[in-house]
Amino acid sequence: MENRRMAVNGEQKRSPRNQKIPLADSNVQNMATLLSPRFKSAAAMAGWDEEALLLASLIVEDTPDRDSKHKRRSLLNSKSPSTNSSRKRRARKSSQKPIPVILDLDAEETPVKDSGRKKKEERVCVNNEGSKVGGDGNESKEKSPGAPSSSSSLPYIDKLRDELSCAICLEICFEPSTTPCGHSFCRKCLRSAADKCGKKCPKCRQLISNGRSCSVNTVLWNTIQILFPQEIEARKAAGSLNGRQQAQNMSPETAFYANLRNTSIQPSGGASSRNMNSRRSVAITSTQEDEDAALARRLQREIDEQSPGTNRSRPRMRARRGVSTSQHEDAALALRLQREEFIQTFRRSSQEQTIIRLPSSTFARENLRAMASRAVNLRTSDTRR
Amino acid sequence: MMISGGGGRSLWSSSTSSWVPTTSVSASGKRIQREMVELNNDPPPDCSAGPKGDNLYHWIATIIGTPGTPYQGGIFFLDIKFPSDYPFKPPQVVFKTRIYHCNVDPDGLVSMGILKDDWSPALTIAKVLLAVRSIFTNPDHYNAVVPGIAHLYSGDRAKHDGIAAEWTVRFAK
Repeated sequence: MENRRMAVNGEQKRSPRNQKIPLADSNVQNMATLLSPRFKSAAAMAGWDEEALLLASLIVEDTPDRDSKHKRRSLLNSKSPSTNSSRKRRARKSSQKPIPVILDLDAEETPVKDSGRKKKEERVCVNNEGSKVGGDGNESKEKSPGAPSSSSSLPYIDKLRDELSCAICLEICFEPSTTPCGHSFCRKCLRSAADKCGKKCPKCRQLISNGRSCSVNTVLWNTIQILFPQEIEARKAAGSLNGRQQAQNMSPETAFYANLRNTSIQPSGGASSRNMNSRRSVAITSTQEDEDAALARRLQREIDEQSPGTNRSRPRMRARRGVSTSQHEDAALALRLQREEFIQTFRRSSQEQTIIRLPSSTFARENLRAMASRAVNLRTSDTRR
Repeated sequence: MMISGGGGRSLWSSSTSSWVPTTSVSASGKRIQREMVELNNDPPPDCSAGPKGDNLYHWIATIIGTPGTPYQGGIFFLDIKFPSDYPFKPPQVVFKTRIYHCNVDPDGLVSMGILKDDWSPALTIAKVLLAVRSIFTNPDHYNAVVPGIAHLYSGDRAKHDGIAAEWTVRFAK
């Protein structure tokens, strides 16, 4: 009897406690729900940032957790006298509830800030919980910048480099073009190979039907760009440097003549040197009297259109191109011409052609000079007006 | 006019001087440099090659006579000259060491299909050297430049080999 009484007493003693705790819990819950907005506003007034607020809220959240531990302990204690009172069940249920509820409420409270908060919570966790989570954080940090650099440290990167490099320039394929026989080269390399070595695949000598209009293998090109971003960037930069100079005035006409110049063998050293001289004088005008040069160019074009002489047109075209191009390209061309001249003098090609060509080039030079002076005159007359 | 001309000329010359280094690294120059690096990293067997001086377009190469051939034990020097539009035109390969071979003309010029019409821009100096090395073991007597040697090779192989070995001892050692 006494034992029972004791048990009853104990029960009675415990039961109010059990009842109290949920109350306290609900209080805490209320506090959390009630306080937090106020707390927030106060924090906002105090100028706390979100992180400080979060820390504070974490502290608030911490308190019911400790209570719940108490509760669990008390529940464990009260388990032995198995009097299944509905009250107790309710108490147990209610005691179990609050923890998730608070968290849920908290989550529901700020649905907008949710994602941001979670991130911050993670960060707080990293800060608070130290080694284990911190290690994870480090790993994730290593992963994110490691993604691009990992490409260079791929074990088979050298094999890939060999596989993806162009057999003609021996560099990583730039804008790769694939032949019908399945071999890939830089588009430019393949095109010049088709121009200079016949329309055969450089690797297997199969006929390439359309060596001129080669299209870029997009998949391969994208793959290369992903695998070797640095090389491609470097080549792009170099290409843009060259391209800017060439593309400056690459109308189809001039492109054609530039092509001609590249492919055709110069008829004579004398003629090419003359051309060089004329180009040089043109370059001078272009650097020093830009406006005049532009005018001269316009004039030249008009004259060109009026009299498209077959023999004269070519040197003049070259000269015209020289007007607009930069000094560097001019110098490059001069050098190339010089080289050609060298080759020609060594070859001692037929003298007849020089005789034919010489007057044309001198004519072109005279023409240019005349036009330059005309341009100057035009400008002076313009300024007078 | 005169003043502007003078100024322009000085500008032009200065621009060339700053520009010349970049011309040397043209497409062909780049390719030759790459080949040089690859040859140094992974040289073909019994072969070596590199620029003669500071001219990238003029190389010197050596091939050691393949064992089991009459050229065994000889060290053969070759001159390689790259055209300015290399790799679209084949390099010129000349034996500097005298050699008794039906595919090498009396001036030492190597006569091979791949160095003429069968040239492909995908070929490299390493491959050319390997090809030259292969004609030590298998002379192409159907496309010979020295018909006499080719005739002897197909007719009296022992005599041919004897002369070739004698030349090797005399000139290549």
